Amino acid sequence: MPENRTITLRINGRDEEGRFPAHRTLLEALRQLGHMEVKCGCEKGDCGACAVLVDGMAVDSCLTLAWTADGREVTTVSGLGDLDSPHPLQQAFADGGAAQCGYCIPGIIVAAKAIIDENPEPSEDDIRLGLSGNLCRCTGYTKIFEAIADAAAVMRAEGGEP
Amino acid sequence: MSRTESDAGARPNVQFRQVGKPLTRTDAPGKVTGRTPYAGDYVMPNTLHMRVLRADVASARLTRLDVSKARALKGVACVLTAADMPDRTSATDIPGQTGQKRLDTDQPILVKDRVRYFGEPLALIAAETRDIADHAAELIEFELEPIPGVYDPLEALKPGAALVYGADNIVAERKIRKGDIEAGFAEADLVIENTYKTPFQEHAFLEPEVGLAWVDENDVVNIRVSTQVIEHFRPIADAIGVPHNKVRVRGALVGGGFGGKEDLTVEVYLALLAKHTGRPVRLEYSREDSFVGHGKRHPFVLTYRTGVTNEGKITAMDVQMIADAGAYVFLSPYVVLYALVAAPGPYRVDNLNVFARAVATNNMYTSAFRGFGALQACAAYEQQMDEIAGTLGIDRLELRRRNFLKTGEPMSTGFVPPSAIWTEQCAEQAWAALGEPAPVQGPIRTGRGLACYQQSYGRLTFLHDTSEAWVGVEMDGTVVVRSGVTDIGAGQISALGQIAVEVLGVTLDNVVIYNSDSAVTPLAGTTTATRALYMTGNAAKQAAETLRARLVERAAREFGVEAGDVDMAFNEVFVIDRPEKTMPLVNLVRICAAEGIHRSELAIFRAPFGDFLDPETGQGQAHPDYAYGAHAVEVSVDVETGEVEVLKSIAAHDVGQCINPAAVEGQIQGGAQNGQGYALSEEMLYEEGRLVTPSFSEYLMPTAMDMPRVECIILESRSGVGPFGAKGIGEPAMTAVAPAIANAVADAIGVRVFEMPITPERVVRALQQRDAS
Amino acid sequence: MYAPFELDIPTDLPGALAALANGAGETVLPIAGGTNLIVDIRARRERPDRMVGLGEVDELKGMEFGPERIAIGGRTTVSDLLRAPEIAREAPALIDAARLFGGLMVRNTGTVAGNIASGSPAADLVPPLLTLDAELTLASANATRTMALDDYYLGYKEDARTPDELITRIAWPRLPANAVNSFYKLARRKGDAITVTGVAVTLAAADGRCTRARIALCSVAPVVFRARQAEALLEGRALTPALIDEAAAEAAAAARPIDDIRASADYRRHTALALTRRLVGQAWDRLA
Repeated sequence: MPENRTITLRINGRDEEGRFPAHRTLLEALRQLGHMEVKCGCEKGDCGACAVLVDGMAVDSCLTLAWTADGREVTTVSGLGDLDSPHPLQQAFADGGAAQCGYCIPGIIVAAKAIIDENPEPSEDDIRLGLSGNLCRCTGYTKIFEAIADAAAVMRAEGGEP
Repeated sequence: MSRTESDAGARPNVQFRQVGKPLTRTDAPGKVTGRTPYAGDYVMPNTLHMRVLRADVASARLTRLDVSKARALKGVACVLTAADMPDRTSATDIPGQTGQKRLDTDQPILVKDRVRYFGEPLALIAAETRDIADHAAELIEFELEPIPGVYDPLEALKPGAALVYGADNIVAERKIRKGDIEAGFAEADLVIENTYKTPFQEHAFLEPEVGLAWVDENDVVNIRVSTQVIEHFRPIADAIGVPHNKVRVRGALVGGGFGGKEDLTVEVYLALLAKHTGRPVRLEYSREDSFVGHGKRHPFVLTYRTGVTNEGKITAMDVQMIADAGAYVFLSPYVVLYALVAAPGPYRVDNLNVFARAVATNNMYTSAFRGFGALQACAAYEQQMDEIAGTLGIDRLELRRRNFLKTGEPMSTGFVPPSAIWTEQCAEQAWAALGEPAPVQGPIRTGRGLACYQQSYGRLTFLHDTSEAWVGVEMDGTVVVRSGVTDIGAGQISALGQIAVEVLGVTLDNVVIYNSDSAVTPLAGTTTATRALYMTGNAAKQAAETLRARLVERAAREFGVEAGDVDMAFNEVFVIDRPEKTMPLVNLVRICAAEGIHRSELAIFRAPFGDFLDPETGQGQAHPDYAYGAHAVEVSVDVETGEVEVLKSIAAHDVGQCINPAAVEGQIQGGAQNGQGYALSEEMLYEEGRLVTPSFSEYLMPTAMDMPRVECIILESRSGVGPFGAKGIGEPAMTAVAPAIANAVADAIGVRVFEMPITPERVVRALQQRDAS
Repeated sequence: MYAPFELDIPTDLPGALAALANGAGETVLPIAGGTNLIVDIRARRERPDRMVGLGEVDELKGMEFGPERIAIGGRTTVSDLLRAPEIAREAPALIDAARLFGGLMVRNTGTVAGNIASGSPAADLVPPLLTLDAELTLASANATRTMALDDYYLGYKEDARTPDELITRIAWPRLPANAVNSFYKLARRKGDAITVTGVAVTLAAADGRCTRARIALCSVAPVVFRARQAEALLEGRALTPALIDEAAAEAAAAARPIDDIRASADYRRHTALALTRRLVGQAWDRLA
């Protein structure tokens, strides 16, 4: 049987170690380490619920082998902000009613962060294109588009990285 | 993207402080920061991981099942087959608290000898890790000897058809016989007959079915599970053979339901293995499991024969409906009952025959899905209205106007809905909001469609539905609500909080709602049937009002005024128009506590209780009340490729009274997505009962690139039977969307596609057939 | 995911090629973005003994924009294409395909070489590359060779790559002056869907005549292919609607579609014709 290997992931700014076999996906590894905010929706890259940032780039953690993230920075939705100091995206999603069942939201907020990182003033088409790999069954996306545009405006007003 | 219109005349002096405001839902902060634990996020030490082994054909006899190699695998704790358990079945009865029970509807927990659908469970595995459970599944050997199956409900009705079970394949038959159908058709200038087909639909909640079970120190089986119905503890207990008080279901915030978590999913498997192993067990369905792990929306074939005068007045309607019930009964008898009642839609039809049947096949079993039969009826009756308008040359909205059921008039079952019927206002506003049409460009044609609906809210009255809620004030003036209601994402619990704090004059950040625990929160019934706000909202309002009356009475004594002069708002208690007479709520609570005045209240709300509809005529009261509204869309159609794009999607609903407008809009916008997928892109394809589209890359719900921004027009008649005159919006949000799209496509290309989903290929074929003829 | 395998993560190209080469009796597969492969492994369609991760092989990244030719590394991702303004100018069809290629996360990790090597008849990046006359560089531990992309596919999910080879580089000549290059993806929904019919076209014109015609189609045959007879009808001629119709009919006739869950063969043939006619017609209109 193939061996387990110890890897180090810098998750939301903190180094965490785990011992995994080669076939363990980053999604499984993150949840095994207690990062339950990363959601499993399809394990095929069809739904985006498991999206995280690896070195700042949005990826489906279900399609990423954990070993390949060894030594890298992983950011989940919980790394963007918390209840006491939410990220502008989190604030806009909560206030705008953009989260319903909420299961897709950790992935959608991560994708939204990537969209705004790439383009601080995304057009509606940019937002749609950026979210095309994130399925939501509750919202029809309307309030999600609005929340992302609102958050982008807040972030521009605040200037730079919050 | 929305506007709200109220009929201020309906209830004068309505001045809400919390209700009707788009407040940030109580569950939102946890969800957007990743702090909210869903059922799959709970862990316990020493947990075993489960896997369900399933049949890979749809109709067969199980001739061999050898689990010895799986049992021998290191790390496997338990493998269960039908041979290992008492001869028990899993109830597929209508869930909830009423104790009503049907005959012969139950499914064996595991296949004993006969496989009736693709994916039917053969064995349960529990192992130290998910990898080991998956490996064990590969080591189980089984042989399935195919038996001829039946995969089309029309075929299943024919003499000599393969039998799924019983003496014939008929699961349920319902009828309406109202007025004089012959006289009605005789009166007609024109009779129009068409057959419409609606497809299977997958709920496609993002959170697959999941749960964690353990046996506690009292020998109670605890199940933390993603469900719409915690009161399944009863059928779970029956299925595993323990008393009802030995099963405790604890919900969690649900990652989407839409009816797909209304029946039992993983609960019985979890309970069995928790009992067998004595260890915590966890079962999370893969997406492929989920596609075969819960019932789908019933496909329907609906034939409408409508008699109309030249002026467009409907004189008679004869409707035949056949629904594919799949391989087990589940909620099929009720789904066809809803379809039956909804058959004429929001129109006055005095001469009406409806015959609705649910038929068993070896397809995936079908059960609850947002709209629950009434939606399939709407898909047909609203297309039929456009066909009639086209034939008569009458404007589509005008034809509807001439037939709308009005407030105070009897519906299909002879029952007069107690609330306002504002279909016409909704239709006019949605239609007008479409604005200027988009231009036609080359092969891209545009078209518009409208659909109106009637959809019940609240469960069938013969189920004698009740709901409980408890409201209390803590010593520091904060509020606690306790109620068993599950929150499936629509903001059910936040709405309860909003109602309670409205009555008690507390701000929403001062309330905590404890919900969905079958052992410790008062039983509130199911989160299904657009009933949570109606039923549990009424219970919470009732509890809060009783508590308020008690508090106000004590405050009035303190202030030396009449109770009617005292009001509560923003965490203060005060005498109206006497600014000096005020005290913080916390002071009043302390006075009450010191004097032993009860600071909490448990209330039960009872829906109207009724009898079953008359079996011969279908007359009587089926539901407590109905919601009405309309959906309008504009589409473009590429006549060369058949691609359809929805350009505008506008909904107008009379919701009675908004509790939280943002939540109402969210429901409407989500319903628009569900309905658009149903109309255009979502397709479950079965080959001999075998699902060939078991993933989100094959089963295609609309993405962010496919959905227009959905505009909401919210009307408030304040006439509903819910709290503050609310109706319900969960199911109504979706009902009219698909036929509006179908009508818009037909408008764009001048020919109708009678079968959903309206795929590009079906559009092209319809155009080719028209050109050929 | 239950799929026991070993994983090497080499840090340079020689290391990667060496890892692929010593697969004595084992099934060894290279993995870059994993957006196809992980799905196939999870479904047990692929059962590798060992995987060679290419994520740290930087030689496979990067783009070169020479005066005559454009070359990109095999590990160029779909998002890399979208972020390169020069690609948008020089290979607009590739951008058309890249925009509608999966979702953001898949575009961020899925690679051009991976899409080519998947051998899928629905590989969206391939028709645009075929219409650009793309050439592949294949390297193994022992040798490096180049071949036309057009020669790469041998049959359904069969290609010219040996198990120890990697597609290291994809290169194509810059478009001639006065050329149009475009791609249309027909799918069952707009976002993140597998193509039902895909058509890419390159048309160049001079003096009122078509000087170069390339037409490539995906999802309508066992392999992505160039409609050479259709191209031949157009080259050297002034295009008329009748001629365009004829070429489109040729392209559709060259298709060998199947019925599957997304569409019937008839519909695919119908739309192959309609879309070829549309794209050639639009290109000609723009050139005129």
